[in-house]
Amino acid sequence: MSAAHSSSILLRREDLVDVDVSQSNKSANHVGKAAVKKAGVESRAAAMVQALASLLWLPQAALLAKGAGIIITGSMAGIDWIAAAVIAIGVLRALIDAFGARLAFRKARETLSEKRSEAILALSRRSPLDIEKPASGLAASVIAEQAEALLPYLARFRPARMKATVTPLAILICVFPISWVAGLVLLISAPLIPIFMALIGWRAKAASERHLAEMGDLNAFLLDRLRGLATIRSLGAVDFTARRLRANADELGKRTMAVLRIAFLSSAVLELFAALGVAMVAVYVGFHFLGQLEFGAWGHRLTLGEGLFILLLAPAFFEPLRELSAVWHDRAAGEAAIEALDRLSTTGVAIPDKSAETRGARWSGAPLSLKVEKLTFSHAGSDIPLFAGFNFEVRAGEHIALLGPSGTGKSTLLALVAGLAPYRTGIIRVGDRVLDEKSSHALRGRMSWMGQKPHIFAGTIADNICLHRTELAKDAVNAALMASSLQNVANAKSHNYLGEGGAGLSGGEIRRLALARMAISRDAGIILADEPTAHLDRATADEIADRLLDVAAGKTLIVATHDPVLAQRMDRIIIIGRKNCLGEPA
Amino acid sequence: MTLWRVFRPVMGLFLAEKRSMLLAGAVLAVVTVFAGIALLGLSGWFITATAIAGASAVRALVFDVFAPAAAIRFLSLARTAARYGERLTTHEATLGVLAGLRERLFRNAAQPNASNRLSQQPSRTLFRLTADIDALDSLYLRILVPAAVALCTALAVGVVFGVMHPLLGLGVAVWLLATGFGIPLLAARWSGLPARRRAYNLEALRSRTIDVVAGQTELAMAGQLQVFRTSVLGADARLAVSDDALNRIETKVGAAFGIASAVLLGSVFYAVAYLAKAGTISGPVAVMGMLVALAALEPFAALRRGAVELGRTILAARRLGPDLVATASPLPLRVPAENLAVEIRDVSVTYGAAPLPSLLNISLTLQRGERVAIIGASGSGKTTLLGLLAGEIKTSQGEVKCMPSTLLTQKTELFQDSLRNNLLLADPEATDNRLLDVLALAGLSDLVAGLPQGLDTKLGESGIGLSGGQARRFALARLLLRNAPIWLLDEPSEGIDGETARDVLQRLAGQMTQRTVIIATHIRREAALADRLLVLEDGRVKAVCCKGQPEYQTVLNGLRPD
Repeated sequence: MSAAHSSSILLRREDLVDVDVSQSNKSANHVGKAAVKKAGVESRAAAMVQALASLLWLPQAALLAKGAGIIITGSMAGIDWIAAAVIAIGVLRALIDAFGARLAFRKARETLSEKRSEAILALSRRSPLDIEKPASGLAASVIAEQAEALLPYLARFRPARMKATVTPLAILICVFPISWVAGLVLLISAPLIPIFMALIGWRAKAASERHLAEMGDLNAFLLDRLRGLATIRSLGAVDFTARRLRANADELGKRTMAVLRIAFLSSAVLELFAALGVAMVAVYVGFHFLGQLEFGAWGHRLTLGEGLFILLLAPAFFEPLRELSAVWHDRAAGEAAIEALDRLSTTGVAIPDKSAETRGARWSGAPLSLKVEKLTFSHAGSDIPLFAGFNFEVRAGEHIALLGPSGTGKSTLLALVAGLAPYRTGIIRVGDRVLDEKSSHALRGRMSWMGQKPHIFAGTIADNICLHRTELAKDAVNAALMASSLQNVANAKSHNYLGEGGAGLSGGEIRRLALARMAISRDAGIILADEPTAHLDRATADEIADRLLDVAAGKTLIVATHDPVLAQRMDRIIIIGRKNCLGEPA
Repeated sequence: MTLWRVFRPVMGLFLAEKRSMLLAGAVLAVVTVFAGIALLGLSGWFITATAIAGASAVRALVFDVFAPAAAIRFLSLARTAARYGERLTTHEATLGVLAGLRERLFRNAAQPNASNRLSQQPSRTLFRLTADIDALDSLYLRILVPAAVALCTALAVGVVFGVMHPLLGLGVAVWLLATGFGIPLLAARWSGLPARRRAYNLEALRSRTIDVVAGQTELAMAGQLQVFRTSVLGADARLAVSDDALNRIETKVGAAFGIASAVLLGSVFYAVAYLAKAGTISGPVAVMGMLVALAALEPFAALRRGAVELGRTILAARRLGPDLVATASPLPLRVPAENLAVEIRDVSVTYGAAPLPSLLNISLTLQRGERVAIIGASGSGKTTLLGLLAGEIKTSQGEVKCMPSTLLTQKTELFQDSLRNNLLLADPEATDNRLLDVLALAGLSDLVAGLPQGLDTKLGESGIGLSGGQARRFALARLLLRNAPIWLLDEPSEGIDGETARDVLQRLAGQMTQRTVIIATHIRREAALADRLLVLEDGRVKAVCCKGQPEYQTVLNGLRPD
């Protein structure tokens, strides 16, 4: 695929983003909710354990209140036992809470691994010709970074929500039989938990989402400018850009604070009710003791122990709500992460590959013929066929150039021959086998490939040639280096990791690397090469062509190219144009 | 102390940016916690005192209920107000500090040769950079503020109990300090290794994901998709191991704090009962002590997450620290003698530990207004020579004198910003009319005229929205705006199709008069613009020829046509 062609696909993908997102959002939501539900059931047990731990405060508070009743009589009777029990229950509570937290974490981490694995599987199966396939950068940032938000959501937010439902209820149940006034005070101080939640939710929406998004924008600004440092320096704009960065950051700070000022107000309301709740309980109990507020205790007068018990429960009543509001923003981030992961996990156009065959067998490397009959193919979502009734035949051992303007489908044809995308109708025969989803994996083992923009993997030059094929011996790597005249570079950088996208390698060296990667598959009977000499200077292009022909000696070779010089060196040139793609004679 | 050395550059920046606001935030946080402790303690005292007074009708009448009740109400309001103020102040301070942090990082990264990593592994480096900045976010909010609050609380609570009995005060303060700081410090120490592993494994997960998605075709052809997919999952599995280790530490910290507070509560309960029986303190004071002990460990729980993140924060501070120290800008290149634009004498350049020099003994003198094409295969040293003249690359030997220049980089870099701001980089003072003029000269007036938002139109990531040819023309407009006496052009028409390329070159040539121009190229149409050709091979000058000489045509004929 030529550069111009692929960039137009990029543009089209950009145009499609809006439609695409809104459509996949619906399905992602659906899948996402199901996944969350499943994880929810599993983690409910963990959340229950943590809620149970928080309930252990009830007996501790009862013991302390009882102890206070003893203390004011000036006695020490039973104090040692109470102290020991308070410590023992406290230790137990800490341990149970830890146990629940670990349980919740492990479940959450398992879910995270599952979701990542699903996304990777789906991505690796999507055809390279699927124009809606997410770009590698996006996939990496979702799978590596954004997915991390799943952990706090599942491991912290859900238990906190469970605690916020169970604990205040249990406390109310304990307080009401002692004093309905105190119970009512608590109930009114937490004026209907749903209202609280709405307030907090509003806060979360306004504060955390916007704050995070704009922080992200600021990071993006920094990264974008760092990427283009060479240009900024050459335009003498370092200081200008630094000042703009600062101004943007300060402006963002101001706008964020304007939002936070309101957002924090709603958490202050929660704080206020919590503090007032404690204060009102204390004041009511005090006045009750003094005989000024006789009512409220079902006709009795409270004892100090009972009054203190209520006071000790008051802060515990609000604590889970406060905890929940502290982790509330984890929810938005977590749900967004689940959605993004599910979007990556959509199937799209898959590489047709359903074989159970392994590639155990070694092939002789004998040349293979290729026959394409009445091929029809169009990109997903497009009604315009790229090929319709296309016919094309290559004899075993023949060297063919596919020549034609960009956009006619030369690269697509190579990908179809390699079984990397499903085609609508027609038959592709490689050697004596029909290429279909059962045979494609094995047949690819008899092809070797030289792409137009070879991906440089994280690793050394040798890693990039072997691609972890353990069966390849060191000799084979050396032979491949030799075949592509890459020995010098490989020697100079033998232990060095290559830079991203081949930084540090020249265009010619990257092409040689692709050549070596191809040359190492000695089993191959067909070589498919996509624009092997594009964007190279003449001398380098000729050298690459020489090496390519050396490697292809005695094998079938199909080259898609713009380069007339390279095309002349093949046995036969096939012009690919609109007409013959659509089955008409050229 | 090593911890201090690690954090010094970061802390220096923090304090330089928002010293008073950072302090105010911490003070408000302390006030919040104190108000909470006082509220609970006073409530306990009040209830107990009223219970005792209520036992006799006479004492109940004379008991002053209003002062403590008012104090309780005041404390509850004070706590709310202080909390609100604290959240505002700490967040505003953090935002300000981060603004400064980003500016400083950018300035230092913008130095030539600042970081080879950035050019070799841009996305990995940038990913690491954002992760580090995010980790530093938590230094103030999650570590410094809770630590300051915990320290003040321990001292204050110690004083409160010290008034009841000196030994009790000492014991409580020591226990609070020992557990409150000992547990997080231990946790930080334990979490150092898993935090580093986690950061490393996250990077591995990221780069392997990129390998599987971007290298999919190669892997499918080699039959290795399954193997690489497994390696992504392997990275996640190792990440899970370090995640789990960190969570285990965090959980242990939580449990340790829970146990420490249970021990404190039980012991203080026993101690105040003992003091009350001995008559040292009254019953209500004893109950107050009990409740103060209950509230005293609240601020320490806030250290729990900070403690685990400390390991990651140290890593971030260690990595970013050197980049935060202001470095001196390199001196600009010296200007050559009159009439000369460039004077290079016997210059060699060797990159790092490379076995062979990229340039060897190059000498070159250019008159003002001269045009030279540097010709050579990839790897011959063309780009290095341009970098040398642009002041981007330092010589290993020899001296470079050059007038101020502008480099047109091989790859057009556009920024996610409006067209106007992308242009203003070249000349911040330029008026809109001037911008439209240069856009017209670059052949883009139709494009801009057709945009509903004109110069305010935003460009997407890496300038998406402009075709390759348009982007090149845009770079040309910036070059014109910059108006430097020397133009350094690195393959100006590479990667754009023939017709557009010819148009761009024609426009460039039209603006070249009165400028000194150096073009690095391997394309004939570009080299043909030059008066003189300089052929480089393996970093050495192989041939020089001028227009009119027969060799000139020979060299041109050997270049790529089209």
